[in-house]
Amino acid sequence: MANGANQSPGLSLSRDTFAKLTPGPFLHAHLKQAQPTRPNGRLPHEFRTPTVNTGSLTHSNGSAVVRAGDTAVVCGVRAELLRASDIPHPPSEDIHPDDLVEELGLLVPNVELSTGCSPSHLPGNPPGTLAQSLSYRVWSTLLNSRILDVSTLAIRHTELQPEDEEVPDAEPRVVVKGYWVLYIDILCICLDGNASDTVWLAVMAAFRDTVLPRAWWDADQERILCSSRLAEAKSLKLNCLPVASTFAVFSTASPLKDRAEAESWVLADPDGAEEGVCEEAMTVVIAATGDGATATLLSLEKSGGSVIGEAGVAEPIEYSAP
Amino acid sequence: MSPELTNHPLIRADGSATHTTSLFTILAAVNGPIEVQRRDELPEEAAIEVNIRPCAGIGGPRERWLESVLAALLKSVLLVHAHPRTLMQVTLQVLKEPSSGVRVRRRLGDVAVLPALVNAAFAACVDAGLPLGRTVVAGLAVVREDGDGVVVDPDEKALAGCRSVHAMGFDAQGELLLNESGGQFELRQWQDVFEVLKTTAAVAIAPTGEDEAMMNGDGTPAPWLRQALEGNAREAGAWRGVG
Repeated sequence: MANGANQSPGLSLSRDTFAKLTPGPFLHAHLKQAQPTRPNGRLPHEFRTPTVNTGSLTHSNGSAVVRAGDTAVVCGVRAELLRASDIPHPPSEDIHPDDLVEELGLLVPNVELSTGCSPSHLPGNPPGTLAQSLSYRVWSTLLNSRILDVSTLAIRHTELQPEDEEVPDAEPRVVVKGYWVLYIDILCICLDGNASDTVWLAVMAAFRDTVLPRAWWDADQERILCSSRLAEAKSLKLNCLPVASTFAVFSTASPLKDRAEAESWVLADPDGAEEGVCEEAMTVVIAATGDGATATLLSLEKSGGSVIGEAGVAEPIEYSAP
Repeated sequence: MSPELTNHPLIRADGSATHTTSLFTILAAVNGPIEVQRRDELPEEAAIEVNIRPCAGIGGPRERWLESVLAALLKSVLLVHAHPRTLMQVTLQVLKEPSSGVRVRRRLGDVAVLPALVNAAFAACVDAGLPLGRTVVAGLAVVREDGDGVVVDPDEKALAGCRSVHAMGFDAQGELLLNESGGQFELRQWQDVFEVLKTTAAVAIAPTGEDEAMMNGDGTPAPWLRQALEGNAREAGAWRGVG
């Protein structure tokens, strides 16, 4: 591989110029050392340590700012009321409670990258492919994990049966009068690779910070009322706390070369420069089960190449398992 | 039901294919290499654009996600360096999806459509005569709600009552090119699915022998992708009396 440092002095390039001109060979030059170290100083399997700050947005029910390296994400959770009478096509009674959250659309995530967070995402532009697929992945992982029971979001009311001569002691009936809908707005304010892990971490941190006011059905006014007292507000009950980990593969494989000659490295938590030269990537979302002994996988995505095989999938999973 | 492939249903696209599985029917059209917009132009390789149209309505975040997964896969299959500063355009239309009679959880159904999309897109790329670095064949499997038992190529009922769904793509060497798994599963279950789908994929492109008719007689699954590709090659060479 051409390395500017080995050339005659007149042609040598500074480190930054080398990185800008040929990002691939630059990364390769770092990784092919006896002790492979990435240009950002991390070891191949080393993640960036995220910093989490919760509750910084005062007008939302829960919020978090998460920063991992130069990637910074703000997440705000806003709860709004959905009255049961406003649901146009109420789902049938026999639907599984786990599916109700999806059916009613009680979790609405939206990822916004058009904030000027990186040169490729200009402010004011409509959401691009990356932003939309991130929104979709947050949505599907939230539902796959069954992180919230529908009972935490439902607003119930115990209805007293009217006095009836035939059935004197009718049981009071519990009816659901409405639901909390959680709008999860995620803004990426600075993007330096691996948006998906940071976005997911921000959502989890914001969920843990979210409090819902006490809400009840007022039979006289026929509407849902909320208490303004903070002491009565309750935080969300989360069933699990999934963690997403992304790995990128840097490979020297090329259709112009023999397959056997190719070398490859798996890089955990790739930054922007590394993402630009890595074709293959894998994302694993793992949730620890109740006893903490075994880990449940919620999603496993891999595309773009063939370096990570069966063993390659198992290794990072065992590594990221609690 | 063995998957079906129809070649070149669209006469004006460079390449096209219809792919039918037990759950989906996909129509794929490929144009390329064609002129690329300045914005998307890559100096050293061809840009890949994937457009997915759902059965009804216009695409949303779900389609963008499927497109990004498919584009990454196609980039590892097509020899993009052979046509720098051009565009390979793949358009996929879902013609049939599981009927609303059986309620499939949407997020699991989204993974289920991927193998059909991959196979349709690949067949259309072959039909278009694009330079390919390898063969890809994708398969779908679900793990049943009880956690045991892998169902390959599930029907609507199996998909509706499953715990996790796995879409995987393999090349002819049996290397894993694509994996999308959703639901709740353990590593051991994923490994079971991996072995089963790897075998299914190997069968789909297994070499056909002289005794093809006899092989199919005893219930072994047919190498459907190889048969379709060989038929394609035979048709393409027919004008000069080859094959």
